[in-house]
Amino acid sequence: MRKDTSGTNKRKLLKYQKGEQIIKQGDYGVSIYKVVSGKVQVFRQSKGAEVPLATLEVGEIIGEMVFLKKDAELRSASVKALEDTELEVWHPRDLVKKYEQTSLALKVIIDQALGRLERMNKFMDKLAAKVPKEESKSKEKWHFLNSRRRFYRKKVDIECKYVPSNRPKGFPSFLKGRIKDISMSGLSIEVFPKNEAATPHKEGDSFHIDTVLPNGQDLNVTAEIVSVKKKRGKIRLGMKFRELPDYYGTRKTLGFFLMP
Amino acid sequence: MSINEALHAYVAEEMSFSDGEVIIEEGSRGAWVYVILKGSAKVKKRTSRGMVTLDILREGEVVGEIAFLEGGKAARSASVVAAEGPVRVGLLDTERLLSDYAGVDPELKPLIQSLIKKLRDTTSKVCSMVVSIE
Repeated sequence: MRKDTSGTNKRKLLKYQKGEQIIKQGDYGVSIYKVVSGKVQVFRQSKGAEVPLATLEVGEIIGEMVFLKKDAELRSASVKALEDTELEVWHPRDLVKKYEQTSLALKVIIDQALGRLERMNKFMDKLAAKVPKEESKSKEKWHFLNSRRRFYRKKVDIECKYVPSNRPKGFPSFLKGRIKDISMSGLSIEVFPKNEAATPHKEGDSFHIDTVLPNGQDLNVTAEIVSVKKKRGKIRLGMKFRELPDYYGTRKTLGFFLMP
Repeated sequence: MSINEALHAYVAEEMSFSDGEVIIEEGSRGAWVYVILKGSAKVKKRTSRGMVTLDILREGEVVGEIAFLEGGKAARSASVVAAEGPVRVGLLDTERLLSDYAGVDPELKPLIQSLIKKLRDTTSKVCSMVVSIE
C-alpha cells in the first residue's frame, strides 16, 4: 500500500495506487499532505452519497482545515487517489507557532472562512439527502442559456422598449429603458424607478424587450430578471434570455453584433 | 455576534446599504473586505434558475474574504446583498491587510490558499445541488 521513501525535513513521501483511499472523513488525523504527482479526489460522504468536492492536482494541499481550526482533529472529507499518486506528508507541529504570529485580523478572517466552509458542508449534507441518488452524480447539461458568464458582454447604451410577458390589461403600451450591456445569454437594462408604478421589477419576472441595435438590426427578445440593483436613482436589471428562437434570426443577429 | 476588536480596528470607512442593495456583485473584480457592523446580508449566486441564496451573514461577519485572499485575481464568487436594511458595513483597510498577509509565513500561505479554494469550490457545488433539487 504505502511506502515511505525519504524523510527530507521531516516530510515523508507516500505512494498510493489508483483508487486507494487516502483519508476517510471523520477519522482522526492532523497531518498535512501535498500532491507531488498524480491526482486525488476530495469527496464528502453525505448520507451515504458520495459528493465529489474537488480534484486536487500537483502542488495542492489536503488537511489545512484541521490545522487552521482550533482543536479540530477530525477529517471533514474523504480523499482517494484518482491515479497512481505520490503525496508528501508532514506533521504541522512546527507551523503552529508560525500561525500564532499571524495578524489577529487575518486569523479572524480565516476563522470565519472556516466556519463558512463548515456551514456549506452541512448544507451539502442536507441537500444530498434530497438529491435522487442517480442525479447526485450531477450530469449538468450544458446549455448556452445556462452559462451566462462564459459569454462576452458588450457594453452598449441603446434605448429599448419593454413590456411584461404576461401583459396585464390596461398596461401602458410599453415602458422605456436603456440597454447597458448585452451578451448571447442576457442583458442588463437601466430603468427609472417611476416604471415601478406600472409593474414591479422582481427577480423571475419576464419581459419582452424590443430594440434596434446600432447596426440597424431589430432585436426582439424575452428575458427574465435575475438581479435588481438600485443605484444613483436608477434601477439596473440583470436579465437572462428566456428564449432566443433561431427562426427569427435573433441568435444570428446578436451573434454578429457581439463579434468583438 | 459582536464585532471582533482586532477587526474593528481595521475599519477604514463606514458605509450604509439599503434593503436589497448589492454590496458585492458576483463576477465583478475587487479585493475589498468588509465587516458587517449592523444588520445582515445574503450571499447569493446566479444560476440557471435565478438567484439562489446560500448563506446569511450577520453582525461581525466578514464579507469578501475569498477574492481578497486570492489576491483579487479572480472574480467575486458570489453576490452579497443587504438583507435587513439599512445595513452598515465597515470597509477594512486593504493596505494593512495586504501587508499582514505579506508577512504570513511562506509555509502557511499554501494552507490558507487551499482553504479559500475549498470554500469557493464547495459553495459553487452547493449552489449546483440547490439548482438540481428545485
